[in-house]
Amino acid sequence: MISVTPSTSNVESLDLANLTPEQTALEIRNLNLHYGDAQALYDISMNIPKNRVTAFIGPSGCGKSTLLRCINRMNDLVEICRVSGEIRLHDKNIYEKDVDAAALRRRVGMVFQRPNPFPKSIYENVVYGMRLQGVNDRRSLDEVVERSLKGAALWEEVKDRLNESAFGLSGGQQQRLVIARAIAIEPEVLLLDEPTSALDPISTLTIEELITDLKEQFTVVIVTHNMQQAARVSDQTAFMYMGKLIEYADTNTLFTTPEQKQTEDYITGRYG
Amino acid sequence: MDKNNMSRHISGKFNDELEAVRNQVLTMGGLVEQQLRDSLHAIEKSDHEMAEKILQRDFKINALEVQIDEACVQIIAKRQPAASDLRLVIAIFKTISDLERIGDEAERIARVALESFNNDQQQFLVSLENLGQQVLAMLQGVLDAFARMDLDSAYEVHQMDAQADRQYEALTRQLMTYMMEDPRGIPKVMNVLWSARSLERIGDRCQNIAEYIIFFVKGKDVRHVSPESMEKTVKGNR
Repeated sequence: MISVTPSTSNVESLDLANLTPEQTALEIRNLNLHYGDAQALYDISMNIPKNRVTAFIGPSGCGKSTLLRCINRMNDLVEICRVSGEIRLHDKNIYEKDVDAAALRRRVGMVFQRPNPFPKSIYENVVYGMRLQGVNDRRSLDEVVERSLKGAALWEEVKDRLNESAFGLSGGQQQRLVIARAIAIEPEVLLLDEPTSALDPISTLTIEELITDLKEQFTVVIVTHNMQQAARVSDQTAFMYMGKLIEYADTNTLFTTPEQKQTEDYITGRYG
Repeated sequence: MDKNNMSRHISGKFNDELEAVRNQVLTMGGLVEQQLRDSLHAIEKSDHEMAEKILQRDFKINALEVQIDEACVQIIAKRQPAASDLRLVIAIFKTISDLERIGDEAERIARVALESFNNDQQQFLVSLENLGQQVLAMLQGVLDAFARMDLDSAYEVHQMDAQADRQYEALTRQLMTYMMEDPRGIPKVMNVLWSARSLERIGDRCQNIAEYIIFFVKGKDVRHVSPESMEKTVKGNR
């Protein structure tokens, strides 16, 4: 018999429970999170592989955005929020006392649902993080702007008007500008919190195309309400429900033959 | 099939669409079954009138195949089915293509039924009838399994094909011997042989449909796998 290797994904599937250190970007271990008395995350453990796109899906309020925000400690800003457990980045728990949150966020960048460019020029938006780090050399800044805008698939559209206000861009362009700003400081991990939910279908596809390119350099974690989007862009998908991680698997598997009934019901649009 | 599960979509219209297309497949299966049963009858009784009827009815099956194809395309385009819904649509797609071919084979058998056979040749028609009943049982079994998406009966049908293959081989040997003994009868015997071949192919197609049912239920493709690995898939918990 002829041996065939059917594969629709361009990446081979990984044994998610047993990643080697070289394959691992983040390890989440027994993560629990409370907002005051209410528990929002229950004992989440998962490995997020390097240079891959990992999607979190689930109904509203299931904790996917909360989990995403834990990865760069955005929840630190919420006073009543308590976190226990570990998230290890390069074998170092990011919740240890000696970890500087600002330094962490340079390594773990984030893009939000609504594009939030600063009221500055396109150029200044991109170099904002570099300036904060004290880089002011024009030549290196120019280089960063070109590289980042090319990386965010925006360069061709804006290269002749870099000094114009970022607010003159369309929503989809603004979102790509924000991604350019995030990747300008060369983080290791890029967190995307529903990055296309405020965009039209064409801009959405442009961003999705971009995400596929981004994973060559970065580890991408994306939260999305759009299941087809998760199916299209991610390599592995985690389904969450009521603060619990129900199923975490290779995207191809999760969308064709999920193991858990709750996952099946959610992705096929059935009553839970 | 677990009807409750299929009608549990939040979108009631999606439930209706899936249910409608599934019913159409069952209707198509019923028509194909009738065509096969009638063609066996026509050949056994040399009933030319019935054979003619069969030839006239095949278009209905073809039309249903086109309709169901269209409905499935609409579902994929509008609903983007996932997981078991997706597997159901894929299983339907493939099943109807096999059903349509079974309809064609039945038509072919009906054409042979239009021929006249002498007393000597009648004996082959009896052997053909035996093979035909075995294959008809397979078709009934697999349609029943499809209606309920029942794993065990699908597997049972799959196993029945070995018996049909043996009957087909025995009949082939018998026909070859006859052809060597009486070359003048070859044209007629060839017709019987083609019918036997058609029946054997129908058995294979029933086996295919059984595989699609297993794919739907278990999410595993069991085509071209060893019997052991197929048994493992069917009997396994998941």
